[in-house]
Amino acid sequence: MMVLFCLGIEGTAHSFGAGIVTDEGDVLSNEWDMLQTEQGGIHPREASRHHSDLGPGIIHSALEKAGISYNDINLIAFSRGPGLGPCLRTTATIARTMALKLDVPLVDVNHCVAHIEIGCLESSFTDPVTVYVSGGNSQVIAFAGGRFRTFGETLDIAIGNMLDVLGRELGMGFPAGPMVEKLAKEGSNYHNLPYSVKGMDLSYSGMLTAAKKLFSKGIPIPDICFSVQETAFGMLAEIAERAIAHTKKEELLLTGGVARNNRLTEILEGVSERHGIKFHRVTPSLAGDQGAMIAWNGILQFNAGHTIGIDDSQVLPKWRTDEQDIIWRL
Amino acid sequence: MEEVIARGAESVILKTERWNRYFVLKWRQSKPYLLADIDTHLRKTRTSRECKMLSIARSLGVRTPAVYAMNLDDSTILMDFIEGTQFKLLVNTLTENQLKEFCLKFGQSIALLHKGDVVHGDPTTSNLIIDSESRLWLVDFGLSEMNATVEMKGVDLHLIHRALETTHWDLQEIMLKATIKGYSETLGDESNDILSRMEEIRERGRYH
Repeated sequence: MMVLFCLGIEGTAHSFGAGIVTDEGDVLSNEWDMLQTEQGGIHPREASRHHSDLGPGIIHSALEKAGISYNDINLIAFSRGPGLGPCLRTTATIARTMALKLDVPLVDVNHCVAHIEIGCLESSFTDPVTVYVSGGNSQVIAFAGGRFRTFGETLDIAIGNMLDVLGRELGMGFPAGPMVEKLAKEGSNYHNLPYSVKGMDLSYSGMLTAAKKLFSKGIPIPDICFSVQETAFGMLAEIAERAIAHTKKEELLLTGGVARNNRLTEILEGVSERHGIKFHRVTPSLAGDQGAMIAWNGILQFNAGHTIGIDDSQVLPKWRTDEQDIIWRL
Repeated sequence: MEEVIARGAESVILKTERWNRYFVLKWRQSKPYLLADIDTHLRKTRTSRECKMLSIARSLGVRTPAVYAMNLDDSTILMDFIEGTQFKLLVNTLTENQLKEFCLKFGQSIALLHKGDVVHGDPTTSNLIIDSESRLWLVDFGLSEMNATVEMKGVDLHLIHRALETTHWDLQEIMLKATIKGYSETLGDESNDILSRMEEIRERGRYH
């Protein structure tokens, strides 16, 4: 049987990515670039300009790395949402144009769902509780009744966003997560910070304000980073644990850009040991925003019989994780 | 004789026999993967908070287990053993009218707490017990708080909404409607602000 090649295009926020994945689950290439800004933060218009300027080149190099040509593409998948409107529209326009030009089917992919499925592909997990942590998302998700349901999430800001805002305050570059992690290793004095878990949801805004106050009081930066990480990750561990106890699932998956953090990984590993379940942290190159996950999800959807017409493919900036019927898992 | 009857996210629930009757011993175990400072603080504050709030809730007219003893050193609470079944496990065995009736009672109980400016903090269907006389009991007050604001009450309702949509997705509309009905009837006009706050909270924290 012929192998199917899917081009996946991701561009929901500040990163643009293109990946080629086969229907056998082989990731042949995964190219991406992130918009760098001086002051940090993302301006949606600048990010969409970044995507339209660099997108075609990134797609081209993804094809080159995979060793295939444009005419070998059987299927194009794109991130339809959730994300920043201008970024999504640029990405979708590229995907539609290519699908028309190459005369291949188009598949619309939910960005959050794609993060879970690429993690399942890599880990061979079948039904995990997923902790999805990034600049824009902090969610605990599990499959139930034909959908990926959000059991818990942040009530205000996402963990990556919290770390970036704190980092900016402390004079770090963007994204600040890696520097916070590095400095936290040098900290040892714990300063009490608001720990806010509400059911299976959590809140970071109070902790962020308190951490900024520590800085203005002259507490050493490493101690602040240490205290913030321990508190913020402890809260995540708790809501993950609540979801595990509630759903009785036997796998725990950590994904998203913040999955790169080793301390968070260690804590969630401890959670899985306590409950006697399997744990997997998605490899950094597949954990952040990239095209391979979109391509793989595109294949799952295509094989389950789903494609989308150009006319119906308008972007969905607020597309919730639990708003998509997961037909390939039924 | 002690028997583990549930292993929750933050505690082990033991059924124990003393003085010729059954009790529940709730034990918040230490979590080695958390920073010791945080772990100790959480176990202590939640244990003492739970004891206090179980009693306050009862004084507000909500059925909760009575507390007999507490030990802050090993984070244990000795309380009534409620003979019954978790509402979560009953939901799919009930007729629509029975289901509505229990949800109505659930909403009424939450309203009684809110009337006294108390929030439950984790109002899921796992934390409701239905006894043999069809009475509804509220348990697990470790995240409960006093002096609750409209925001805190709104979060409480948001958590109910969340619990229903993730766990009882096929019945969520019926259940939410009946719960809100019981809530509004008991709380009166005060419920309007809290319900609209719930909707507002649902829209926050999302990738826009």
